[in-house]
Amino acid sequence: MKPSHILASVCRVLFPFILIFGFYIIIHGHLSPGGGFQGGAILATAFLTTYFMNFKKITDLNFLIKIEKIFFLIILLIAMFSLITKGEVFTSFLSTNSELKPIFLITLNFFIGIKVASGLISIIATFIEEGRN
Amino acid sequence: MIKKILSILMLISLLIVFSLASFEALENSNSFSKDFYIENTYKHTGSKNLVTGIYLDYRLFDSIFEASILLVSVTGIIFMSKRDDEVL
Repeated sequence: MKPSHILASVCRVLFPFILIFGFYIIIHGHLSPGGGFQGGAILATAFLTTYFMNFKKITDLNFLIKIEKIFFLIILLIAMFSLITKGEVFTSFLSTNSELKPIFLITLNFFIGIKVASGLISIIATFIEEGRN
Repeated sequence: MIKKILSILMLISLLIVFSLASFEALENSNSFSKDFYIENTYKHTGSKNLVTGIYLDYRLFDSIFEASILLVSVTGIIFMSKRDDEVL
């Protein structure tokens, strides 16, 4: 594919807006349609547009896979934390009467979103690298 | 020719069976769980979006394995695409 200046400039303008939209979808997952998985996919498309800006860009795959592994372990720990407070696994660790219950949803959505985004970015980067060789 | 006729017959029979089954499901539907979630999700989980309330609180066990499926597929794709001396 030949590099096009128009495509590169449009992607440069769109990149921050797609990032903001992805984080909005992730953070507002408990109020409006969306959530961690969908917002993570939008973040991954934002990083896909960076390939149109700079054609020699190579993402560091080791770093992405490391982020994904660590965030998956953090999600497991947050989900298991209710064993201490409530005595049962895989529910919210806050009590049913408290007003701060959305905090649990926001943190889990955030971690799931970053994890899904790094996974999809590494898949895209692998495919683009394979297509180039 | 015979293959095309057979495949069209198969598609038509699939359509008939699926529409019959969906009409049957409409008549005999039970709205107990729907009413339960609509009434109690905001009280139990504090989420105004029912889907988030279900997949992050009632069914958190499922969504953790849903997240692990992505991890496993990413590692599989990277393992298959790299050559033997480049595996991470």
